[in-house]
Amino acid sequence: MRKGFTILELLISIALISVVLLLLLRVMMALEVINHDTSYASDDEIARTEIIQNIESDFIRQHLNGLQIEKNNEQIVFYLDMDEDKQLIVSKNSITYDGEVFSIKSVNAQYGLCIDYTYTDLENDYYLINFTIPVYIDGENTTSRDDLIFTYMGLKNEYSSYPNEFVC
Amino acid sequence: MKKGFALLETIIVITFVTVSLLLLYGTFTSMIDNSRKNILYDDASNIYRMYYLKEYLELYDLQNYMDGVDIREITCEDFSTNSCSLLFDEFELEHLYLVKYGLKDYQESNYSSTFNQYLYSLSNESDYSYRLVGEFIIEDEYHYASIGVMKE
Repeated sequence: MRKGFTILELLISIALISVVLLLLLRVMMALEVINHDTSYASDDEIARTEIIQNIESDFIRQHLNGLQIEKNNEQIVFYLDMDEDKQLIVSKNSITYDGEVFSIKSVNAQYGLCIDYTYTDLENDYYLINFTIPVYIDGENTTSRDDLIFTYMGLKNEYSSYPNEFVC
Repeated sequence: MKKGFALLETIIVITFVTVSLLLLYGTFTSMIDNSRKNILYDDASNIYRMYYLKEYLELYDLQNYMDGVDIREITCEDFSTNSCSLLFDEFELEHLYLVKYGLKDYQESNYSSTFNQYLYSLSNESDYSYRLVGEFIIEDEYHYASIGVMKE
């Protein structure tokens, strides 16, 4: 009666296991690359949420009495006239709000300096401001999901002063 | 003398490897699906849009619509202001719902699967009476965000 494996069976088993392990290794390496990219993307996503939350919290806590937007070749500056005056400075690689700098980490991403701004009058003396800072990945703004979108709605008063439009 | 593998051995090994690979594939697919879905839920900018919408509609008696109905779709026709449509357009809002807080059983077939999935993903740990749920269409995808509303 035969016992154990023949050398051929062992060789074939080892070869099959090696093939499966090689395939798994390739999958794991691909996942490692994805994880690396995703960790940068998620860092930027966290920074995006933090910037939006910081600014919107201030909008809610303090009335926005006025807004000025200035642009030059390297940066765009929002002068926010609130209970405490604050500045939002956007450059290609970072956003600075009230002195705190948020740098973009993904190497292929940049903030766009051509913002989308709208001002809308609402009934009951309310008004709505929307502005969007676009994010370019590899030079293209392919999705609005990464963009920083800010909204402010408030009651007009005699001190209110906002641009009706912004041409970039 | 027996040489090589028996058919049974080969089938068992192939089955085992196939099942393992299928399990791996299923796990990764569901992980990717979940992360894709989560991107569409409760984006920070959409939450603040919902906040401002709630504040504005409360000027126009939003409270009147919290009348015990589990889920109520709110349209701009319910409010006596033309600004409502402007807000819907600016915010890319497709539908707006008032949903009872902590709702578990409701007629799912009356609503879209994406809406049902969003409701299931929500926690019910706060003390609000209702939540205002916005369904946004952004780049042909349904996004959702909500904010709690207290009945006065």
